[in-house]
Amino acid sequence: MACRGRGGPGQPPSAALSPVSPGSLSASRTSAHNICMVSDFFYPNMGGVESHIYQLSQCLIERGHKVIVVTHAYGTRKGIRYLTNGLKVYYLPLKVMYNQSTATTLFHSLPLLRYIFVRERVTIIHSHSSFSAMAHDALFHAKTMGLQTVFTDHSLFGFADVSSVLTNKLLTVSLCDTNHIICVSFTSKENTVLRAALNPEIVSVIPNAVDPTDFTPDPFRRHDSIITVIVVSRLVYRKGTDLLSGIIPELCQKYPDLHFIIGGEGPKRIILEEVRERYQLHDRVRLLGALEHKDVRNVLVQGHIFLNTSLTEAFCMAIVEAASCGLQVVSTRVGGIPEVLPESLIILCEPSVKSLCEGLEKAIFQLRSGMLPAPEDIHNIVKTFYTWRNVAERTEKVYDRVAEEAVLPMDQRLDRLISHCGPVTGYIFALLAVFNFLFLVLLRWIIPDSIIDVAVDATGPRGTWTHQHPHSEDKVEDSGKCKTR
Amino acid sequence: MCAQPVTNTKEVRWQKVLYERQPFPDNYVDRRFLEELRKNIYARKYQYWAVVFESSVVVQQLCSVCVFVVIWWYMDEGLLAPHWLFGTGLASSLIGYVLFDLIDGGEGRKKSGRTRWADLKSALVFITFTYGFSPVLKTLTESVSTDTIYAMSVFMLLGHLIFFDYGANAAIVSSTLSLNMAIFASVCLASRLPRSLHAFIMVTFAIQIFALWPMLQKKLKARTPRSYVGVTLLFAFSALGGLLSISVVGAILFALLLISISCLCPFYLIRLQLFKENIHGPWDEAEIKEDLSRFLS
Repeated sequence: MACRGRGGPGQPPSAALSPVSPGSLSASRTSAHNICMVSDFFYPNMGGVESHIYQLSQCLIERGHKVIVVTHAYGTRKGIRYLTNGLKVYYLPLKVMYNQSTATTLFHSLPLLRYIFVRERVTIIHSHSSFSAMAHDALFHAKTMGLQTVFTDHSLFGFADVSSVLTNKLLTVSLCDTNHIICVSFTSKENTVLRAALNPEIVSVIPNAVDPTDFTPDPFRRHDSIITVIVVSRLVYRKGTDLLSGIIPELCQKYPDLHFIIGGEGPKRIILEEVRERYQLHDRVRLLGALEHKDVRNVLVQGHIFLNTSLTEAFCMAIVEAASCGLQVVSTRVGGIPEVLPESLIILCEPSVKSLCEGLEKAIFQLRSGMLPAPEDIHNIVKTFYTWRNVAERTEKVYDRVAEEAVLPMDQRLDRLISHCGPVTGYIFALLAVFNFLFLVLLRWIIPDSIIDVAVDATGPRGTWTHQHPHSEDKVEDSGKCKTR
Repeated sequence: MCAQPVTNTKEVRWQKVLYERQPFPDNYVDRRFLEELRKNIYARKYQYWAVVFESSVVVQQLCSVCVFVVIWWYMDEGLLAPHWLFGTGLASSLIGYVLFDLIDGGEGRKKSGRTRWADLKSALVFITFTYGFSPVLKTLTESVSTDTIYAMSVFMLLGHLIFFDYGANAAIVSSTLSLNMAIFASVCLASRLPRSLHAFIMVTFAIQIFALWPMLQKKLKARTPRSYVGVTLLFAFSALGGLLSISVVGAILFALLLISISCLCPFYLIRLQLFKENIHGPWDEAEIKEDLSRFLS
């Protein structure tokens, strides 16, 4: 399984995460929540949101909560699967429309989601990513069913073009009665508050984290006779690959001992290959192609300097991973990046070839004159910054706060939709909310909540996982058994 | 909601950083919240007469379409002899050709490196081929019903107006598509004319008015704005006059359209600028301002 592979055989993620037995922690807790993470993006798909959901869920399980994950089916992977520590994942048979996001009609997912929410006795719905249609659907249904909702936004949007005007309106509707919103950086919070016209009091900033044990330095892997610059990103316009194509010839002509290692794949790879061809840099610029997450560390430790040329970024895990491996980071000053690392560990540049070249030259100068701290020292500083434990602790506080809030009754919810989302959109979505409610009434009449089986509880305070399978591997429940219809 | 309750906040100032644990709750809203928000930084200030001047491009194109349709109507009715139209067209093309070089003193020609011989060659090739194929053009859409031809021509001419390059930098602009649509409309309409000579002259006229005339206009506008305004007015009045001889109601409606585009629309554009609220901040996607193609050439 994708998530099992990342730690290697000797170091499963669970071992790194749970030195304390779950029982002792949960005993001290007053209230445990039944949390349902909903997003279109989860393993086996790879990316920042996916690992965020997985790591956060594991840490919440460790803290004694019950957590399940709901996503859509990936190829043949449908039904229910159990991951480490009894984290149950529902892969729902919904049609994928675009970019791994499901199509939305606002209604078709209600029967399935309602069934899951009831049989798992979910109390808090936690949706992830504004690109995920399923996440927004779940927020809408949860409100119809009277459940508490939390939403985590992982990305930044502009305001200037037509597509962002439309998506921002949809976000306004979707977050209009969501209890609490979590953003990954302060810039992202400002962005989300403006996009969805929110009260900033209900938006918390909880950064992402990286597992520092996965990103340890290894100075013997790099050649100190040359200087190696590492770039790991998808090779697309938004990651600034065009800038990179200007930096490489500029600096390679100036520094004969400079090498580039570029990991990642994308439509802009062709321009890097052209640059390499044009300037005869085949021995100095290596293009590795797509990297698996577990291989990233082995690439990072080969370099001295990490270069990030992104044009927009909400948090940027890549620079934290690189700094954790002991590299000097050179990055563009965009989005939330200036908040992520202290000035001593990062060189910030404007998003232009000239400025980035100056930044790299500064880093090269510091490296040659031995002014840079040892990789081990950088690692020891960075590892204290972002941990999943801390993220889980702070997210838990959000849950505690949300659980005490009252769910708006139907009439107030409609009022809020109409007053908050503008005259046209507000009335349309208020009408849809009424339809959704009637649909729910119909479903409750066909199958009453009382006759829906309660699912086996694997995680949580009295979870069967810890009692029956203390040391067992992942169990895969036969997908035929599950109640997905 | 964060770890510690706020104790001595007087000394501790909130920082916009994520790597430090700060004694503030996670949902804390500082005074500096949204301080980097900027509004309308790229907004342009418009001058009324400047906008009116720019709108003349649209007026010109509308008039071109109008003149084209009027000429076709005269030909269809048999009121305009094809030889006469061909003669006038040829004469005005020659005048335009000379003007085209005169306006900028031959600068554009030097830059493009095109010889007069090449111009003559392409003109000859075009005229010969159109003349040779005019029987085919004439019969190409003859079997299609007249109503369909009219509907198609209307859509094609509308499309021509929509996709025409008025100078805006938008994705919808495509001068090739625009020209093709206009030529297609002329081929459609040519098939309703009595003889293949008519069809040949109609298509040639379409090329003159939809391909060559805008090029000359562009140069006029850039080099001699005053004469450009004069030409536009003259052109608009002749188009109106032509239309007036066919239909009075049509002419009045067309005049209203021209006035609203050249006077009313600029007025509204400037009025609506007051309501503009374009938000910018650190979350905006950075723009690459340099020309990076130099590294690849």
